[in-house]
Amino acid sequence: MEKRLIHLSVNGDEYDVVVRPNQTLLEVLREDLELTGAKEGCGEGACGTCTVLLEGKPVRSCLTLAVEAQGKQIETVEGLASDGELHPVQKAFIEHGAIQCGFCTPAMILTTKAFLEENPNPSEGEARRAISGVVCRCTGYAKIVAAMMATAGEL
Amino acid sequence: MAEHTLVGHRVPRIDSLDKATGQARYTADLTLPRMLYGKVLRSPHAHARILNIDASKAERLRGVKAVVTGRDTAGVRWGVFRYTRDQQLLTGDKVRYIGEDVAAVAAEDEETAMEALELIEVDYEVLPAVFGPLEAMQEGAPQIHDHAENNINIHVPIEVGDVEKGFKKSYHVREDRFVDSEYTYCQTEPYAVLVNCDLSGNLEIWTPNASPHTKAKALSNLLEMPLTKVKVRRICTGGAFGGRSDIFPGEFIAALMALKAARPVKLVYTREESFTSVRQAHSMIVDLKTGVRKDGTLLANEIKVIMDGGAYSSTGPIATSVPFLVWEETYRLPNVRFNGYRVYTNKPVRGMYRCHGRAFLGGLGMQLDMIAEELGIDPVEMRLRNALRTGDTQATGSKIISCGLSEALQQAAEKSGWKEKRGKLPFGKGIGMGANGMMVGFPMGIRGGSSAMIKFNEDGGATLISGVVDTGSGNDSMVVQIAADVLGLKMEDVNLVSADSEITPLDQGAYSQAAAFVSANAAMAAAIDAREQILNIASDMLDATVEELGLRDGYVYMKERPERNIWMGKAIRKALMDDTPIMGRGSYMPKIDQTREWVSNPKGQQAGTFSFGAVVAEVEVDAETGQVRVSNVTGAHDCGFAINPMAVEGQLEGSVASGGVGATLLEEHYWDGGQMLNASMLEYKVPLSVDMPQITPIIVESMDPEGPFGAKEAGLWGSMNMFQAIGNAIYDAVGVWIKDFPITPDKVLAALEERNRD
Repeated sequence: MEKRLIHLSVNGDEYDVVVRPNQTLLEVLREDLELTGAKEGCGEGACGTCTVLLEGKPVRSCLTLAVEAQGKQIETVEGLASDGELHPVQKAFIEHGAIQCGFCTPAMILTTKAFLEENPNPSEGEARRAISGVVCRCTGYAKIVAAMMATAGEL
Repeated sequence: MAEHTLVGHRVPRIDSLDKATGQARYTADLTLPRMLYGKVLRSPHAHARILNIDASKAERLRGVKAVVTGRDTAGVRWGVFRYTRDQQLLTGDKVRYIGEDVAAVAAEDEETAMEALELIEVDYEVLPAVFGPLEAMQEGAPQIHDHAENNINIHVPIEVGDVEKGFKKSYHVREDRFVDSEYTYCQTEPYAVLVNCDLSGNLEIWTPNASPHTKAKALSNLLEMPLTKVKVRRICTGGAFGGRSDIFPGEFIAALMALKAARPVKLVYTREESFTSVRQAHSMIVDLKTGVRKDGTLLANEIKVIMDGGAYSSTGPIATSVPFLVWEETYRLPNVRFNGYRVYTNKPVRGMYRCHGRAFLGGLGMQLDMIAEELGIDPVEMRLRNALRTGDTQATGSKIISCGLSEALQQAAEKSGWKEKRGKLPFGKGIGMGANGMMVGFPMGIRGGSSAMIKFNEDGGATLISGVVDTGSGNDSMVVQIAADVLGLKMEDVNLVSADSEITPLDQGAYSQAAAFVSANAAMAAAIDAREQILNIASDMLDATVEELGLRDGYVYMKERPERNIWMGKAIRKALMDDTPIMGRGSYMPKIDQTREWVSNPKGQQAGTFSFGAVVAEVEVDAETGQVRVSNVTGAHDCGFAINPMAVEGQLEGSVASGGVGATLLEEHYWDGGQMLNASMLEYKVPLSVDMPQITPIIVESMDPEGPFGAKEAGLWGSMNMFQAIGNAIYDAVGVWIKDFPITPDKVLAALEERNRD
């Protein structure tokens, strides 16, 4: 398949990448840009561990073609901390013990950030629904929800 | 415990910063220069003889650097035990399940590797296959392995006391059959492996694993390489739950290809391959006969279980025994007969799972409630009457040195409002209880212990070198917390080197619930050893006795006169100048009967100690749809002592998801013969955030005399007792017993309809 040059904007940095049209955003982030925070858990949009933010909204990067992401702001977990300071959602996840094996953590944190920016003071039920597209097999979600609620109102 | 600055406190885990920022590396995240990409050709047949494999076209494809088949393995077979060596990890003569590894390719990129797989020609002679254990045991069934008549892989017989006499003396006897279907670990991280080799014959392996030493030993045997040359490196593991323990074909195949191509090879499984071709959990058919006195005291148990083991042994002897052992680790069983059969079928391989034996333990815990009701005894009282206590000896001979089971039962009942709710909730709502005991470690020979070392930098910082393995539950952080506490340092002043088969000492791994008891004991001993050395040096410098000194915040100080102190770095430097550098050294081997063997000698001390737990689940059952929703869970776990209460709670909450909502209500595989129909996360349903109940975790601390600071284990609580609690709660809600796991809406509806017909 013929490759083409595309331009991506990730975490505020600009990249020129040569991709095949069928390459997913997840593949390009992980393999070309070496941003491996987004994970491939299932490759079919079910588990949510590949979640990144596109224009501030969570998307499954395994179901998003890299060419579709041109001209949009892409945000990955690597871009959350700034000037050596963790994002409040990252801090809350660490302090509340919301991280066990960590495989779903980047997706959970990004989903939480996008959700709380849109809904700064959610109910617990709303918080649970917001992360219901990301599978965690370790935590039972309890401490993730606690971390979300602790960050509410802080963003 | 008042003195402790870290141990017993809620502290953030040391690994969470890397994980929260995307810096933590998992196997699939790694790349090496000149790395090749591997792909495996899998069997499309459940049972077939391989007549010929022609890989010549694949070998000639541009970009292909290595092709391996069973011919490259010299027929070497793997088994966890000497008597279970039944699996060629790259099969040679026969395939025994759909998805079995037949050949593999390493190429410059993944697309080329996939194209090459299409070019490998395999001639199969399809054989009759068998997909259920009862059918497989019948005369005339297709024989899957030449050595196993009637396809019986493992038979564990255990008999204690006089079972017939026990039944004769019983006031009430009940018999029930419970069954379940296959389910799976479904760790969020799919299986992956990366192998690097150099021209001196060193192999480096990265793969999600619960025991680098176990993997390294197996690979060294299979590849006939010295253990010193096989180096399994530390890497983050995205969950294990029992499913990353023994060796898998992937590691072996990637190693063969790396050696053949003399280049690094990465093999990353798809989610489908992770479902079909690594490990699953056993399905079971469980027959239970229980006899009790009028007051509910257990007098006799007869238990027969037939497990579908799939095509190979894996951890078969352990898997066949564990559910029974969990039962004898919970209650006093004076007369008991157990016959466990693990049977070969033409299905994927089954291993030990965190929620292993839901039909077995769910069945026993539900039958206990049935008997309690027939005798008019409250289920909590029924459990309290039979619960093991400190000083008791279990049926097969293990002494209980600490036991908080009764306290756990009482606390779970009290905090859940049991008395006000049981039998008193409106139709559709119910409450139920479950309980379990759990071995903390088990006999694993030289691999059953752990050792650790601590060295110091001249600035006062320390490095702990421990074989401890962390698959996500927080073991790394736990040993650092302990070492820092003992040495009076901050956690950030203690580096950890762990889980590397070359660099770190032998350890049993994140397996058998032993890390908090065994690995942490070794780390604690190393820290105490280093502390004594530091205090000895400092006692000269401060002109005080060792007993008068303490360590805190990086300083050695006199307990009575804290203003008299020296910086620890000073003592460390003096030790270096004196040619007596401070090197802490510690080890721990649990006090178990090393002659105990799963099949040939299942008696004697099974584990160093045992943990205990009780749970109360509240459910809402929709009688129109059959849907069960777990609304509240109150669980009390005797973990001995909570080194980090936040981490202990995390384990309890996680096991409500895996054992409760997942294993009890949702998770199962569907089949067409040997073809798995839902090898996908769209079709294999796991609990999501919205499915979870409110959870109230209660930590019970029995202060184990052997455990580090009294600790035992925290992971195997709800994952082993939630089945009982939910099954019993459903009965309390709508008056039907569902004896088939998972308890899906169709089964609830069918049971309600049957009851209404009667």
